[in-house]
Amino acid sequence: MDADPVAEDVTGGPPVGVAIVDDHPVVIDGVRAWLAGEPRLRVLATGDDPDVVLRAAPEAEVVLLDLRLHGRMVLDKLAELSATGRRVVVYSEHTDPETMLAALDAGAVAFLAKHEGREHCVATVLAAASDRPYVPPALAGAIVGDPRPDRPALSDKEREALLLWFQSMSKASVARRMRISEHTVKQYVDRARIKYTRAGRPAATKAALLARAIEDGLVRPEDIGIYRSQASADRPTP
Amino acid sequence: MSTEVGAVGTGTAGPTIVRQRAPEHAGPGAAATAAHAVGDASDRGARIAAVVIALAWHLAIGLPALLNSWSRLAAPPVVAAGWLVTAAVGVAAGVRLLRGGLPPARLLAVALLLVDGVVFAAAGERQLFTAGNWVWGGLAWFFLLVLWRRPVGWLLALLGAHAAIALAAVVLHDATAPADLSRYAMYVYGISSLPVAVFAGAAAIAALARDRASTAAAALAVEAERDAAEQAQRDRQARLALASGTAEEVLAALAAGDADPADPAVRGRAGLAAARLRRLIAESDDVPDPLLHELRAAADLAERNGLPIELVAVGAPPELPVEVRRRLADPATAALAGARGWARLTVVAGPDEVVVSLVTPDHDGPDATGPPGGDGDGPVEHLHERDGEIRWTQTRWRRT
Repeated sequence: MDADPVAEDVTGGPPVGVAIVDDHPVVIDGVRAWLAGEPRLRVLATGDDPDVVLRAAPEAEVVLLDLRLHGRMVLDKLAELSATGRRVVVYSEHTDPETMLAALDAGAVAFLAKHEGREHCVATVLAAASDRPYVPPALAGAIVGDPRPDRPALSDKEREALLLWFQSMSKASVARRMRISEHTVKQYVDRARIKYTRAGRPAATKAALLARAIEDGLVRPEDIGIYRSQASADRPTP
Repeated sequence: MSTEVGAVGTGTAGPTIVRQRAPEHAGPGAAATAAHAVGDASDRGARIAAVVIALAWHLAIGLPALLNSWSRLAAPPVVAAGWLVTAAVGVAAGVRLLRGGLPPARLLAVALLLVDGVVFAAAGERQLFTAGNWVWGGLAWFFLLVLWRRPVGWLLALLGAHAAIALAAVVLHDATAPADLSRYAMYVYGISSLPVAVFAGAAAIAALARDRASTAAAALAVEAERDAAEQAQRDRQARLALASGTAEEVLAALAAGDADPADPAVRGRAGLAAARLRRLIAESDDVPDPLLHELRAAADLAERNGLPIELVAVGAPPELPVEVRRRLADPATAALAGARGWARLTVVAGPDEVVVSLVTPDHDGPDATGPPGGDGDGPVEHLHERDGEIRWTQTRWRRT
């Protein structure tokens, strides 16, 4: 399964600080082992209480948060952290689409299913550190199957790219199928994700994702401004 | 890369899968139709009774009275013509009613009122309150026929018009003595009460029968759903026992140091057990959708043959015809037979679209699915391709 070529501007700088919040030590050890193989990432603190972990490492740029802590879904904590601008990557074994979309609405930068593996985990954290979207396959499935009447309007190409990415977990295969480049596949998928920054309540993390997407030329402000009008904006940006 | 687009061929060589179908519970639409059938059946008896009463009254009471007072009527041929027109209206309405239809109410009601006015005028002053003026009592039963199953207000309006015409005749013939007026009032009451009672009674009985039938149908549907849910629950528990057993074995062996995590065989077993548990956790539907049920059965079978398989379903498929479901599921289940290494089976469903996909690593072996053939424009699109990296089977149904 191919992960994305990671954000280019973090290569030179100091490693990205990561905090891991999970109530299962074995999971923390596992994720720490995954991230240890990646020189651009450094785990600063771990624990089962987000407040304690972030007091220990206030400089952490990305928080990996297990959505279920001690038997409770911590969507409220997620919203609180996102509102203050903490980049939270939710990772969970609860991969039903409602939960994933609720996490995005609450301001999570990304949602990772626990079984999605190391490559996706590293790619997601690196993308999150630079306020860039990363859509692992499970999240693509949740977005493409979003049944809510007020869901963001996706273009046909964006929907198709998400659907095929969800099905195949291979951007190369999606590109061959859609007869476009892998880069364009990623653009369609990421643009769909960016449209979700307008769903749910506002959060600093959503604003940051949107701002970076505009800066990168992934979306234009007018594409994202009015929901129902962007379905026709299908052109891949240069 | 080979891409083949076409409808699903029927001759796909797939694994033999024992398909347990979830009970196909009747939807609310079906229940309503059944309730209507019961209501209609009980309405039929009332229709026959109404037709018999109207025509029998017309023949056995109206006709002799008309013939007996023939010489005393002011214009006997006109009164007789009214009788014939009414008989024709009655036969036409009766035939429609007994065939299960409804007569054209407005047209026939106007015809009856015309007859009413003409006969009152042609009967003459002296025959106003006698049996020879047959429209007094005979016409109300025909009102009943032409207004069958219409709102009871229509019948009351027609009876009101009837009473107004009679009152006009009474006044115009100058029969306004107190005795005449009280006779008039008694006649109006006498001819109206019975038809109204029959009309309202028939409507109430039909409505009651419909209600009872739809309650019974709803109760049956709930019961069927509960049975299906219990069956699903039992299935799931059985599979949970199986999955937990496998997982426990691997874990116990690992804990005891009998199994080496570096051993690919041990990893394979652990992966298989994890995939099975994950699939169980992902099942959130109470009553399994028949399409998901079939795909799960196929996934279970492939897994028992040692293939780690992931099944992810997003959304709930709408009710699909069996043929569409078969065309959606069969290519994937057939492709599973030739899968090696791992498999990812996904379903994305919405009210207007269902997409099933199976992705497995590509290998040199032949395709398990035959070439897609048959009609090219079926409701289900089938795509199969291999690109050296993966084999990809996708079926897609769109509401047309």
